[in-house]
Amino acid sequence: MLQPHSLLWHYLSIAPYILLVVLALFMLKRGLHREFPAFFFYTVFEAAGGGILYAMDVISWVPGPVYWWSYFSFLIVEVFVKVVVIGEVFTHLLRSYPPLGRLARVLISGVGIILVFAATIIAAYANPASFWLISATRILGRSVSVVQCGLILFLFVFAAHFHLRWGGPVLGITLGFGVLASAHVGHWALMADWLLGQKTYLLDFVIMATYQVCVLIWFYYLLVPQKSVTTFAVPLPEHNLEIWNRELERLLHQ
Amino acid sequence: MNLAIVLVIAAVLALSIILRLAVTRSLQVKGSANAAVKIRPIDIEAFRNLIDPAEDDYLRRGLSPAQFRVVRRERLRAMAAYVHAAAGNAAVLVRAGEAALASGDPRLAAAARHLVNDALVLRRNTTVALARIYLALPWPNSGFAAERVVDRYEQLSGAAMLLGRLQNPAVPVRLSALP
Repeated sequence: MLQPHSLLWHYLSIAPYILLVVLALFMLKRGLHREFPAFFFYTVFEAAGGGILYAMDVISWVPGPVYWWSYFSFLIVEVFVKVVVIGEVFTHLLRSYPPLGRLARVLISGVGIILVFAATIIAAYANPASFWLISATRILGRSVSVVQCGLILFLFVFAAHFHLRWGGPVLGITLGFGVLASAHVGHWALMADWLLGQKTYLLDFVIMATYQVCVLIWFYYLLVPQKSVTTFAVPLPEHNLEIWNRELERLLHQ
Repeated sequence: MNLAIVLVIAAVLALSIILRLAVTRSLQVKGSANAAVKIRPIDIEAFRNLIDPAEDDYLRRGLSPAQFRVVRRERLRAMAAYVHAAAGNAAVLVRAGEAALASGDPRLAAAARHLVNDALVLRRNTTVALARIYLALPWPNSGFAAERVVDRYEQLSGAAMLLGRLQNPAVPVRLSALP
């Protein structure tokens, strides 16, 4: 069952992309593609690219180097698409909080520079294989996933520190990307160092299953109406207002 | 191999932090009904005294350099405790303002938005102030000013009182004390 090209492997390889097509269609129907254009493009790009790569993998007459070149090219374009989606999420999160705009931009730029620097160092410690293209793909995947995971983690920590309110879809997109990016860091780290030898295909099952979970997370947050849990007003109790007032009076009469 | 293990551990940590923050975010929103209870009063006068450069100059003149460093570190720690309290209050007020905004009451919207913005600016200033305080601890002779935190705290008090008055018109809030 846990073998390449087994039934489970075929299911996990193709099901997320079919689900992404359905998600893209729902987004179109509900007008979410206008609100999240980068994420909409990501779903279409992933569905198309993933489908093509799957077909190239299962068609026997496609040469190995052609598959790996295609995969490498797909990975490079995917990096840019994901960065744009993270930027979109960031913009949505901060849209309602103009006082934090400048600080957030400075911080995320700083974090981005540090992460790129760290990713470059990590790439320098690569363990090359006989076929350089496979190594290059794994090293690129590892470095890029470190940057993406770091950026998503920063977004969550920043929002938690300032108690920012996530919209349901924004939280869903970010959560899905966060889970995927962390899984990719572990996956590519083990793959790039060839730690599992001939058993590396087992990691493929883990990452494919994780991806399916992430697609379902996006489905849930984008398509299931979110409960408005903050529909009540928070009253400031009398005693607190008196404390505030007393402190203020003390300040004014000093 | 070592790098791979480090990265796998980092990935697990990142995943657990992301999941925890995503879950607690929901719990925080649901628990914000009692948020106002957690507001801690702050003695602004004592805080002003702590951050007053004239006080530091006076202590510097009256104490030996070694004694001054000890006293200055104590004052910095006390300052950090005040700033922590202000940051906590700002966080509570962000949630209170958000909840008021979500109520959909147009009478509250402007006051709530004002409160959220002021609270966020205060929280931002407290974050920077705390970083500066902790950086100043190893070098207690360096100058430090946290006036922006105090000024923002005054504005926030006004914004919170205004929102409280709009939400509970029956509560006797003495706005006459405001400038």
